Parts: sequence; structure tokens; C-alpha cells
Amino acid sequence: MATYDFIFSALGLEDWCAEGQSDAPMSMAALLQKTQGTTGEPESLWDTPFPSMDALNESCAAFPQSRDLTKGLEEGFLSIKDSLSVVLDPLTQPLSWALDGTLYGMLNTPWWIVIPVLLAVVFFVTKSWKLVGFVAVSLCLLAFIDYYRYAMETLSIIFVCAFICVLLGVPIGIAMSRNDMMQRLTVPVLDMLQTLPPFVYLIPLIFLFSVTESKLYGIAIILYAIVPVIRLTNLGIRLVDKDVIEAADAFGMTSHQKLFKVQIPLALPNIMAGVNQTIMMSLAMVVIASLVSAPGLGVLVLQGIRNLELGVGLVAGLGIVILAVILDRVTKASLARINASQNQ
Amino acid sequence: MDRNIKISIRNLYKIFGPTPDIALAHVRKGMGKAELLEKHNHVLGLQDINVDIHEGEITVIMGLSGSGKSTLIRHLNRLIEPTAGEVEVDGENVLAYDEDKLRKLRREQMSMVFQKFALLPHKTVLENAGMALLVRGYSVQDFEGEAKKWLARVGLEGNEYQYPHQLSGGMQQRVGIARALASNSPIMLMDEAFSALDPLIRSDMQDLLLELQDELQKTVVFITHDLDESLKLADHLVILKEGHIVQQGEPQEILMNPNDSYITDFISDINRARVLRVRSIMEKTKAAPEECAGDISERDNLESVIARSNGDTSLTYRVVRKGNQVGILKMEELVKALVPLDASEGDARSRY
Repeated sequence: MATYDFIFSALGLEDWCAEGQSDAPMSMAALLQKTQGTTGEPESLWDTPFPSMDALNESCAAFPQSRDLTKGLEEGFLSIKDSLSVVLDPLTQPLSWALDGTLYGMLNTPWWIVIPVLLAVVFFVTKSWKLVGFVAVSLCLLAFIDYYRYAMETLSIIFVCAFICVLLGVPIGIAMSRNDMMQRLTVPVLDMLQTLPPFVYLIPLIFLFSVTESKLYGIAIILYAIVPVIRLTNLGIRLVDKDVIEAADAFGMTSHQKLFKVQIPLALPNIMAGVNQTIMMSLAMVVIASLVSAPGLGVLVLQGIRNLELGVGLVAGLGIVILAVILDRVTKASLARINASQNQ
Repeated sequence: MDRNIKISIRNLYKIFGPTPDIALAHVRKGMGKAELLEKHNHVLGLQDINVDIHEGEITVIMGLSGSGKSTLIRHLNRLIEPTAGEVEVDGENVLAYDEDKLRKLRREQMSMVFQKFALLPHKTVLENAGMALLVRGYSVQDFEGEAKKWLARVGLEGNEYQYPHQLSGGMQQRVGIARALASNSPIMLMDEAFSALDPLIRSDMQDLLLELQDELQKTVVFITHDLDESLKLADHLVILKEGHIVQQGEPQEILMNPNDSYITDFISDINRARVLRVRSIMEKTKAAPEECAGDISERDNLESVIARSNGDTSLTYRVVRKGNQVGILKMEELVKALVPLDASEGDARSRY
């Protein structure tokens, strides 16, 4: 018989094992073994298998196999899915509206309004004509090669998602900075969000929401991109000069006054660095999210891969690079302005 | 002393560590700082501090780094909570205050000047100067006049709309002082306020403080590690060493009668001619001197008397207070007083 029979016989569990005998489908390996007529007994010590779930299952049929684990997880998820959806659906619905609304607005406004408005925003936050010129040339180039629509879709999604990231991330970061317990609880979650491969978020999301809903990719992008703004808000507030905080205390500031008049203004450079990172990460994720129906340049990249259209894929990739450079330069320039108005 | 006691510190202890109460019991039984750290891993910050701070005076708390002087001043407005003891301001126990009363105390009774200035870098000089008023809920328009007045008083006219980083260290500390003055609080806490400044500017700032003090008569608690500074400013001098008070009193008194070798060592390096005043060494008598070389004020320092006498040690001066003689000063006595007490002489008197 199998290698680990002795464990179950030693524990006196043979009866329990026998109960588990069933004619459930065999694993491929077992089937192969059966047809080849070999026994489960290893020839030598050299071939002893690790006492894994599958190896133990060979000795005792009642012991679960590893595929039962993944299957159990899946069934568990599916069984709570409906109740989870009842809660999450209405909660996340505004995200769908925001995404759809922004996309509709951006795409149905004529280009000769959208482009000047974008340039005006760039000038407002950076006060640099050079940067305005660069953005104008880049956008016109994208429009000239007929990628205007795709680029605007990508931009709209990034605007909405980055805005929501800041809206949620800054308060979470502030809460973390004020409470060590909160920080201890939040950091592992942030670590997980940052290290999980982005494709992995998509799997449970696909089960939870319909692929036709825009909030699906919205959530994926927000989960991926929110981390830096939370971390840097927390860090920024914790790094505020202790002497200044002490002075604020000594002059009798309430903690509310301290937060809004001292801590947030002084943490602003760090918070803005977080916003910059968040925007760049949204851009990275918006491409991956095209797998779950996010519109934009990512769709073209995907098309390039699927249909082996080298040119389409490369040009779309280049378009993403141009958007990335624009977003990075503009946010960095506004960050530099904040820095200049504060410390040296 | 005919002035009221403004702040009274009674039997104040501060012990840093996880279980200060247990450590406190050991300290009360006589355990020293080193032993406490070694056996119980607690740091003895302050030990049995008793100080009366009089209204309208400059009380200087002096000590080397690690002596607990910054810890002590932070107990006055409870930026640090004591382990045991009492702090009374105007007869009220500050330690019993709840959050609201404490905030009111910090806003209206005490203002503070910091070693590293601690100005708000994102606010203009004007807004910084008005910080205390801003905290109380006034708008910039409301306090503009008041803030400008105090900025002008400390010599920062025309800098109102600059940012702190555009100013030099000395100017930044002037903003710090203007900020404290603008709060209109009767008590000013100054935590090594001039230590980060270079010597010439420091001297300027000391003069500024004395000038302001003549005019405003605030209760100032000043922390420093610099003996010259403390002798220049102090009406009442408290010398701290490793968390306890070695000696306190009138600075001239401490200078003439140090009760500890620690202080003797300390004062052996100073320029006695500049620090000592005529009243500390004069012979108290109403009798007119036989040969009078002239009148000197009891508040003159010895340096100015030497300069006046042109180095002639045979002269005798009449010491006057408001025109009336209070004593005489022989130049011979003056020269003797310039020799510092031998450091070893103090050892016998060492109490600690």
C-alpha cells in the first residue's frame, strides 16, 4: 500500500479511513499508476514523497486531497457571494456612475473644448508654459494618429480612480498616523495589496461583479493604486517636526486645529508625492484592467497581443508612455510648487 | 522678596520608564540616579524640585545637558506629566486641570519660546506672530495690528509677509519672541531660547529680553546651559544637576557663596568683573569714607568701576542707591573679589 499507511494504523484511524472509500474520480496520477500496474509503494527511501495532502490521501481515502482545498475555497466564496453582493453592490454603484459619467462627458465633448480645458488645468497646477506646450504637443500627436478617443478613455478612468484613491486614502492615512493600533492593523493589508500580483485581484472581482459593469475595473484600479497615498500620508504626518507640534501644543491648539493648521499643511509635500505615485499606478493598472473590459489604450495593447498586431500594440504602448510622462511631469511640477512655498 | 509667587513647584518628581510609581518609591528611599537606571532601568528625570517663581522676575534654570532643565520647564504647562508633586499657578493646582482648563492655561496664561524656534514654515511671519491669537479663533485681520506691533517691537518691521525660512536664525527667534508676547500672557517660558544663536546675536537678544522685561514685567522662566547668560538675565537663579537642585537664590549670592564644588567649578571660569556688582562686595556702612573718589551705583558691575578708577587700587568709592549712601567700596576689596574661590575649597561643603 502507500507510504504513510503506518501513521493511520498507528493512530487507529483505519475505520475512519475506510469510510472515506468512494468511487470519486481519481487523480490523473492515480489513474496512470493503475493502468501501469505499479503499486504506491516507493522502491527506495530516495523516492519517499513529502507527506502532503495527496500523499496522505493515498494511504487514507478519508483524508482530503489538495484539490478539495481549492474547491472548498471556491465553494465558500460562491456561497457568501450573494450576500456579499447585496452589501457591496449598492456601496460601489456610485463608482460605476462616476466612471460612466466621466467617460461619457469626456468623449462627448468636442476635442476643441477638452484639449484647451486640460491645458488650462495643467497651467493652473504648474504655472509653467513649457509644460503646457509639452502637453499640447503630446495630446495633438495622439489625436493626430487617431488615438484621441482611447487616450481620453484612459485619462478619464485615471482621473476618477485617482480622485477616489485620494478621497479614501488621505483619511485612512491620517487615521493611521494618529493611532498606532490602526497602523499595525493597516500595514499588513497594504503590504498584501502591494505584493499581490494585479491579476489576482481580478479573479474574486469577476465573481462578485458583472464584467459589463465599469465598477469592476474601477475597484481593481483603486485597490492597486490606493496604497502609496495612504502610506505617504501616514508617513508625512508622522514626520512633521516634533518641535512644531510641541509649539502647537504649548499654544493650546486643539487636536483638530493641530491637524488642519499644522500637520496636514506640513505633510502636504509627502501627500502629493503619494498622489503622484497613485496616479502612476492607476495608469499601470488601467492597462491590465482592459482584460476585464476597461476601455482605453489597454484595449489596443490587448488587441495587439491577441491578434498578433505588432504595430497596434507598440503604438498603443507608446501612447501609454506619453500619458505617463504627462501625468508624472504635471504632478511633479505641482509638487515642486508646494515644496517651494514651504521649506527652502 | 516682596513680589507675589506666581508659580510654585512643590516636591516634583519625574521618572521615565514603564513603571514610574515603583521606581518613585525606590527614589524616595534614597536610591540614586545611576543605581535606579542600572537596577530598575528607569531614568530619574527630576528629583524633589521645589522652586518659587515670583511675579515679574526672570527666573533662570541653569544646568548642563541632561540635568533635566527642559523637562522641568515642560512641567509648568504640562507638556510633560509629572510622576509626583505639585505645580501651582496663581495658587491653583495645574495638575488637577482637565483638558479644557489646561488648554485655557496654555492659551492665556503661558506662552513659550523654543530653542529651535518651532515656527510654522508654511505661514508668514505675521501669521506666526499671531499664532496664539489664531488659536483662540481670531482671524488674520483681527490680530494683524497686534502682531505687527510686537513684530515692530522686536525689530522685525517690514518682514511681516516673509516666510520663516527667508529669515536668519536670530530673526526667526525674534518672531518666536513676538509670538510669545502677542499672546499677552503673563508668563513666558523660554526653553534655551538663545542657545542656537551665534554669540553676538545671542547677546543682542539678551539685551532685547532685558529691555522688554523692564517695560512689560512678565514672569519669565528661562532655561539655559550658559552661566554667563544666566548671570546676565537672572533675578533668581536655579542650578540643576542630574535632576536635582544644587543651589538656588540670587545670582550674586550664589557667586559669592557657592555651596557646592559643582558650582564652584562652574563659576571659576567666568569673568567676575563683569558679573559681580558693587552691592555684592561693598562694605555696608552709612559712614562717609575718609577719601572719596566719587559716587558709584550699587548696581554697577566691577568692570565699570575698574575702568573708572583707571586701575588705581588705593581709591575708595561711595556706593549710593537713589542718591543715598548705602556703603563704601575700597578698590583693594574689589581686586580681592576678582579672584575666584578655589575649586577644592568647596569640596568640604559638598552636600551631594
